[in-house]
Amino acid sequence: MPLFHRLFVANRGEVAARIARTCDRLGIEPVFGVSEADRDAPYTKGRRVVVLGPGRATYSYLDPERLVQAAVQTGCTALHPGWGFLAESPRFAMLCEHHGVTFLGPPAAAMHLMGKKTPAKKAMRPSGLSLIPGSDGVLADLAEARSVAAETGYPVLLKAESGGGGRGMRIARHEGELERAYTEARAEALAAFGDDRVYLEKLIERGRHVEIQLLADKYGNVVHLGERDCTVQRNHQKLIEESPAPMLDRAERDRTFEAAVRACQAIGYVGAGTMELLLDASGTLRFMEMNTRLQVEHTVSEERTGIDLVEQQILVGAGHRLAFTQADVKLEGHAIECRINAEDPSQGFKPAPGTITTWRAPKGEGVRVDTHVASGYTVPPFYDSLICKVVTRGATRDEACDRMIGALEGLVCEGVPTTIPMHLAILRSDEFRTHRYDTGAIPGWKP
Amino acid sequence: MSVEAKLVAREDGTLALVAPKPAYWREAPKKGAVIVPGASIGRLEVLGGLEPIVAPKTAAGRVIEVFEPKLARRAVDAATVLLVLDPNALGAGAEIAASATSRATEGLVFRAPMSGRLYRKPSPNDPPFVQVGQTIRAGETVGLLEVMKTFNRVTFGGDDLPASAKVKAIVAEDGADLDAGDVILVLEE
Repeated sequence: MPLFHRLFVANRGEVAARIARTCDRLGIEPVFGVSEADRDAPYTKGRRVVVLGPGRATYSYLDPERLVQAAVQTGCTALHPGWGFLAESPRFAMLCEHHGVTFLGPPAAAMHLMGKKTPAKKAMRPSGLSLIPGSDGVLADLAEARSVAAETGYPVLLKAESGGGGRGMRIARHEGELERAYTEARAEALAAFGDDRVYLEKLIERGRHVEIQLLADKYGNVVHLGERDCTVQRNHQKLIEESPAPMLDRAERDRTFEAAVRACQAIGYVGAGTMELLLDASGTLRFMEMNTRLQVEHTVSEERTGIDLVEQQILVGAGHRLAFTQADVKLEGHAIECRINAEDPSQGFKPAPGTITTWRAPKGEGVRVDTHVASGYTVPPFYDSLICKVVTRGATRDEACDRMIGALEGLVCEGVPTTIPMHLAILRSDEFRTHRYDTGAIPGWKP
Repeated sequence: MSVEAKLVAREDGTLALVAPKPAYWREAPKKGAVIVPGASIGRLEVLGGLEPIVAPKTAAGRVIEVFEPKLARRAVDAATVLLVLDPNALGAGAEIAASATSRATEGLVFRAPMSGRLYRKPSPNDPPFVQVGQTIRAGETVGLLEVMKTFNRVTFGGDDLPASAKVKAIVAEDGADLDAGDVILVLEE
């Protein structure tokens, strides 16, 4: 079965460079959609580009019509949405398909289903995934909130059905706080998302964030590529990801792997996707949401399995069957990723756009660097601050961590502040090395 | 609904009209055509839909360069220069379109801003809008121009006309078919 001749990259920065790398290997010509702010970015040098519009993403990377038209007029028969921007927009996926461009992601229907909180939860239940206890769908009124909260036990979390990014969420620690939390969550949800429907879940504090990488073809074959632990976070923003997950019971892990694979089959999922779960104090993995796209930290699973996830997305999108079964997927050693952002960790992680005067990426055994920057690159102020990902591999967690410390010490980035000092502090801390941390605080880092 | 091209003034004094987004550009003007502010410069095809594209409000000049002039449908993006205009090479036609009035050799005149049939009275039994000897001020009605069954009020004024002037003669007859630029009034300051 043939592959695509030309593939449109509907994204920018690190992921755009990442997708192009696999295209080059497969003999597919990548065409970059770029904003005016990214026209001269190093990763577009010598490449075919289509200028979408101004730097502001609304008129470039977030305009579905501009992107699909650009793909059509350059003769691209496939489009990779990357992550962020329109990667999880069912409307965008549909627009691509209507204009003869293969969207490298799941079918719009599966994306739509998993994009809504309570329908997604309901769809996961039959597959045997553990769920966070809470209301069965959206709440009808305050009285229902009261009775559900009494059943699950306090503290509880009220969440917006159409929410995201931490907005439309309120905690009630006891019954006295419930009415206020319910009212406020609804008001904020209405203001932010135009939808005041909320649902209720038991609040799981001090949990660990674990996720499962999944891969499915169009014929119902689904495999998992192991789990990742993304517990080191700041305001729901992941900082470090690793695999395998420390502190995870083997039986619970294998049970959840199987359930996640079944769930993917049940919803007709295609391509790469991730189940995000919360590991609670009792050691149970509970489903939070599914990300219907490639993730920033996919590299961790690639390093452990030797499987190129972007290549698999392209193959599956072109109609190929998965060329391997679950038994062929070998999860080896330990891999860890640090996200290097152009932010100042000592200034409350203030984003710091500017020009990188000197850039030198580290090299070494078991070290992988994914980046789109080079010396002289200017980090534009319009987009997120990710400039580089460093991934290291080792036989053990300690070896991977030590290699990471060596790599980060060898990375030279002058001109903009980065999160490297924070990463080094975390990696050298006892809390991180001995697993005494959760999503509540960054281990080993006191700003 | 129409979209506007972006205007980029270039160092050599020419004006570049740049496409606003990726699209197929159709019905492009030809080299030598005169572009006035707001004039159509073709249509953009985006995902099968067509929308008119117009020159920005500050662009005027004669087309000296057209992007891919031989093609009927050109793939363009937000960096493509569609047309290059020379603002100093305006022909007579452009002057008429850009400004309906001018000082001609015969002195100060007021010209028809567009072609059509001139009516000098609001209705057949009413007195004319303008009579010889009166002083006319900017904004006052000179007459009505019927264009394709539509009556357009023609008001006095123009960049190179005084705010008020005395009407010396009325050249165009009531009911006359005028071309754009034909003299209607001869004036004195």
